[in-house]
Amino acid sequence: MIELQHIGVSYGDRVILNDLNAEVAEGRITAVMGPNGCGKTTLLRCIGGLLEPTAGRVLIAQKEVPAYTAREMAQQVAFVRQHPQTDFEFSAFETVLMGRNPYQRHLQNESQEDWDIVERCMRQTGTWHLRQAKPAQMSGGELQRVMIARALAQQTPVLLMDEPVSNLDIAHQLEIMRLLREAGKTTVIVIHDINLALRFCDDVMLLHDSRLLYHGPIADGLTPERIATVYGVTAHRTDGQVIFDF
Amino acid sequence: MKSSVHKRSTYPPRLIGEGSGVRLNLWVVAGLTVLLVAAMAGSCLLGAVDFRLDEIFHSPIFWRLRLPRVVMSVLVGAVLSVCGAAYQSIFRNPLTDPYVLGVSSGASLGAAVAILLGLEAWLWGVGGMALVSALLTVLFIYRIASIGNRMHTTTLLLTGVCLTLLISALISFLMVLNQEKMDSIIFWTMGSFGSSSWTDVAVLAPVAVVGIAVVLYYGRDLNLLLAGSEAAQSMGVEVEKVKRVLLLATTLMVAFAVSSCGVIGFVGLIVPHAVRLVAGADNRKVVPYSMLCGALFVLVCDTLARYLLRPSELPVGSLTAIVGAPLFIYLLYKNKKRY
Repeated sequence: MIELQHIGVSYGDRVILNDLNAEVAEGRITAVMGPNGCGKTTLLRCIGGLLEPTAGRVLIAQKEVPAYTAREMAQQVAFVRQHPQTDFEFSAFETVLMGRNPYQRHLQNESQEDWDIVERCMRQTGTWHLRQAKPAQMSGGELQRVMIARALAQQTPVLLMDEPVSNLDIAHQLEIMRLLREAGKTTVIVIHDINLALRFCDDVMLLHDSRLLYHGPIADGLTPERIATVYGVTAHRTDGQVIFDF
Repeated sequence: MKSSVHKRSTYPPRLIGEGSGVRLNLWVVAGLTVLLVAAMAGSCLLGAVDFRLDEIFHSPIFWRLRLPRVVMSVLVGAVLSVCGAAYQSIFRNPLTDPYVLGVSSGASLGAAVAILLGLEAWLWGVGGMALVSALLTVLFIYRIASIGNRMHTTTLLLTGVCLTLLISALISFLMVLNQEKMDSIIFWTMGSFGSSSWTDVAVLAPVAVVGIAVVLYYGRDLNLLLAGSEAAQSMGVEVEKVKRVLLLATTLMVAFAVSSCGVIGFVGLIVPHAVRLVAGADNRKVVPYSMLCGALFVLVCDTLARYLLRPSELPVGSLTAIVGAPLFIYLLYKNKKRY
């Protein structure tokens, strides 16, 4: 579904990603992991067509990203970003309704179908009761779930998520991760919680020193040795869980 | 299914907060339009000379002076409000007004120079100079703020503010050196429809109609731009293209408006906000409602400007603030109680 071929990104002299190759199969949930500032978000932005890599190319559904129009791209890939920007006073419902934009023409109003999809996505993310709330009236976690609902409303085969659960309490983290499993989309997700990733993700991309250290099944990938290499901390695996030495 | 418990939404669903359906309410549009037409008719009757209904159509004052003036105030009000709404969304900044890119200061400088050179006698001498100078100023600002083929919004706004201050200093300088023409320069910079003619209408109307149509067409894109450039792009907006088209359309509209009637402040900043407070943030409503409310507002202010102290006139720019500020503060206060 997603092919990354020799991706390189650098800002001036600073190399963020270097010769990164990977193929993400359809329907799999891939965790992107690595320390802060290692280029996880940059990688996601490349896949989503928001950033043009300095080298290499990204293919979504066998088609190169620059060949898509913004509208076509938005029907393929939805993006949940780390810090949602919400200055003006759109209600949660209006915000989620924006996710239907790639399916609408100019001057066309949303159809009953659009309304139904929005309602369904908001119920799935547990935000339907917030539909009239303005951003200022929502907590960080509620806002995050509204953003996830908006991405779901885009009805794309691919979902990119940049730390979607970092603002959520454990109950909502589990709820969202279960939801992702049920949704069955090709998902690339930046996530810091190693055990949450182990439980809910299929694969992992481990980034280290601007290179892809490992890409494959997550249960095999997150060995104590690799965790030591990437994060510089000591860890043990017991019963499929990772325990850290404090 | 939860939907058996939940009352099924009717179509169009009534979901969104107090008094604001998602859709554009055509009854509101029709009502505002009727109100506007009535106000135009009323405004034609009032002024330094009052007409009786039966003699109005025989009067050259009506045909040559009053009617074009009324039409101009409506056009300018619509243009400024629509552009204000668009700019506030494009720049994601609620303090943005149509003059933020230096159009007004550029136009004022051009007008001041034209007045000093004695071009007032020429048809559109002052207006033409103002227009050219306004467009040059904006072009200069765009040049400074574009990086590659992208525009850096903060730089754009800061350059606009900086250049505005520089140019107003230059204008003060020009006025001090040429005190005998100070009055006409000041009057120009405060805005007036006193000299509006059918020529002004003929120049502004096509630009306004096309420009406003463009902004209406991109209503939903404006909503998405408010969520941030990247978010808008990932939801299918060709961000750079849309911004470019909208900035071109709005800049031309404002430049033409300013060069024919001077700088009328407050309208473009306040009218869209007032509309948002009542109707919600969706630009598909904010833009058309602002167009009609802005037209009505400037029309009323200009009527007051020429009626209150007749036969002398007040600058309409001061009236927009005197009438508009209390109204807006009342709306803010009323809205505060909702939270």
